[in-house]
Amino acid sequence: MKDLKIKVGVFVAVLFMLLVAQTLAAEEPQTIVFLTWKPNQPEVWDSLIEQFHRENPQIRVKVQVGPHSSTEYHAVVTQRLKNKDPSVDVFFMDVIWPPEFASAGWALDLTSRFSKDEQKAFLSPTIKANTYRGNIYGVPCYLGAGLFYYRRDLLDKYKFDPPRSWTEMLSQGQAIVEGERDPTLHIFSAQFKQYEGLVCNVLEFIWSHGGNVVDPESRSVLLDSTDSVEAVTFVREKIIGKAAPRGAVNYEEPESLELFIQGRAVFHRNWPYAWAVANDPEKSRVATKVGVGVLPAFEGHNPASTLGGWQFAISRWSQHPDAAWEFVKFMTSSHSQTRLALDGGLAPTRVRTYDDPQVKEKMPHLKSFLPAFKTARPRPMSPLYPMISSELQRFFSQAIAGSRPDIQNLAKATSARIEKILLMEPAIK
Amino acid sequence: MIHADRKFYLALLAPTILVLLVFIAAPIAQSVVLSFHRIIVGLPQLQNPFIGIENYQELLHDSVARHSFLVTFVFVSVTTFCEVFLGLLLALLINHRFPGRGSLRACVLVPWAIPTVVSAQMWRFLFNDSYGLINYTLFGNEVSQYVAWLAKPGTALFTIILADVWKTTSFAALLILAGLQIIPDELYEAARVDGAGIWRRFRHITWPLIRPALLIALLFRTIDAFRVFDLAFVMTQGGPADATNVLQLYGYKKMFVEGWMGYGSAISVGVFIIILILAVIYVRMVGRRVLEANL
Repeated sequence: MKDLKIKVGVFVAVLFMLLVAQTLAAEEPQTIVFLTWKPNQPEVWDSLIEQFHRENPQIRVKVQVGPHSSTEYHAVVTQRLKNKDPSVDVFFMDVIWPPEFASAGWALDLTSRFSKDEQKAFLSPTIKANTYRGNIYGVPCYLGAGLFYYRRDLLDKYKFDPPRSWTEMLSQGQAIVEGERDPTLHIFSAQFKQYEGLVCNVLEFIWSHGGNVVDPESRSVLLDSTDSVEAVTFVREKIIGKAAPRGAVNYEEPESLELFIQGRAVFHRNWPYAWAVANDPEKSRVATKVGVGVLPAFEGHNPASTLGGWQFAISRWSQHPDAAWEFVKFMTSSHSQTRLALDGGLAPTRVRTYDDPQVKEKMPHLKSFLPAFKTARPRPMSPLYPMISSELQRFFSQAIAGSRPDIQNLAKATSARIEKILLMEPAIK
Repeated sequence: MIHADRKFYLALLAPTILVLLVFIAAPIAQSVVLSFHRIIVGLPQLQNPFIGIENYQELLHDSVARHSFLVTFVFVSVTTFCEVFLGLLLALLINHRFPGRGSLRACVLVPWAIPTVVSAQMWRFLFNDSYGLINYTLFGNEVSQYVAWLAKPGTALFTIILADVWKTTSFAALLILAGLQIIPDELYEAARVDGAGIWRRFRHITWPLIRPALLIALLFRTIDAFRVFDLAFVMTQGGPADATNVLQLYGYKKMFVEGWMGYGSAISVGVFIIILILAVIYVRMVGRRVLEANL
């Protein structure tokens, strides 16, 4: 009887100690939430996060996955940050969001943690994109820029060099299409559906013709300037339904790439990810026959690529900004950049990663991306960019797909609308 | 005694009323309140001021909204007409007794049972300009003849209308079939004895007696068509050149893409008012018809 009492006593004591120990242990590591979208190769990210856990046993990262489309994901992130949700610590941020997230006070100002010296290690367009009114709000993870893909085999066959100008692209393409006698072969494929990608594509034509949407210094709207309107007119008259199939007006990245990898387009505009797909013999009929470089420009102007890519940012409402910063620092370290490049095929934002011997050996094409990356241009930087983008999408789509648009007048009306949007900016102090 | 009955009825009604209040009335009221404020998600500095009917004034002068209304109007008229007309034919067909009628009736409902997002994706593939089955069926290997259905403003709207007709005709048919089945067989037999042909039997027996059912089908289809969103969202995102930018999609974009909560709410309230007016008109018509039919 006494024995039993002791046994029970010991049992209860042990149970109690176990419970205490467990609560202590449970309180030990800090959990931070990383809000992102489902990446194309989740296993690469998982293994990086596992490594972070091994190196920082006091921090646990919980990944929350949002929608894949940037626009849809934007709606999720803004809803949570607007409601001051403290359960988001780190979030993935598209290159067009920093001004909005900074001015709304959702992204933590990282200036004191992310020093100017440290910033110099990154490609300068990505740093500029994350800077708003002198302060920095994001650490670039990987970048994209509009690249020009072409059929090296066809250019060689007809003894052409990759075109430097848009008109040269048209004449080379014309000669190749006529020479090949293939009714399914088109000169060019790109993304012209009414969505964010349309803005990226048409901006490249406008910029490479000396035009612009908003002057970054004076904030005046240049969309209805001759340079801009002529570039848009060129897309309507020479590209849609001529060099590119009419269907391109409803193409996003996958459809336009499909045309190219089925060998049905000589030239193709896309982001860096298209390289790996175009050279995958299982998916592509033109594997190993593809070249890549800088987009053409109009005569007398410089080529321009639209800057894309993703950054890490920390929520202003995070309860654990220090732990969050440790995670961001780890994910954007040279080591992580190399892993994301080698295993995930993503273009690094750190300049030095391009000289990493492993990266050079496994991804020799990255070097040819570098000129486009270094000069990539941001879309209009404004906290109200989503509204500006809607106006641009509508205008560009009407201009290239409408039945008989008066492009000059449309440009004027759109400019007026964008000016009205920009007028709201001074409200931000 | 009557008093106690009343209390009992009220108690029975309470759950329904509560659900209606929480899930229907409250969100509508919330939208109306939002629509009187200037709320821009990306500009919390604005402090969401009350601006009265400014959003509505802007809506009246918004050329994009006007265009969206026009697109929605075309969509609603064409789809409703086609669906009710084809639904009537379908209902007449499956009302006849023939072998396999049961399974045919089930088959007819299949398009309606498929989630709209899935069928929209299916139609998008079918109408693909280079690989779509529609182009292949129409033009075979004549690649140069291929039509870029989703890339032209006119045909893009047409494809969305077609997808909707394909999907919901069966729903209209079901409603009309219910109307057909309450017509007593004796009426037809008597008419046949009197020597009335198939057309006269339809004209003088079927048509007057299914009019209430037709009206209900019209009511449901019109209201539902006004709320179209998912088809355009999946198939075209409102493009090209805003040709398929239906009102609900426009409101969604304003609210959740541009973060213009107040203005987007004003658009939703606008759609709500249009639907409300239509519903009142229809319900009155249906009410009277049903009454006349019963007399």
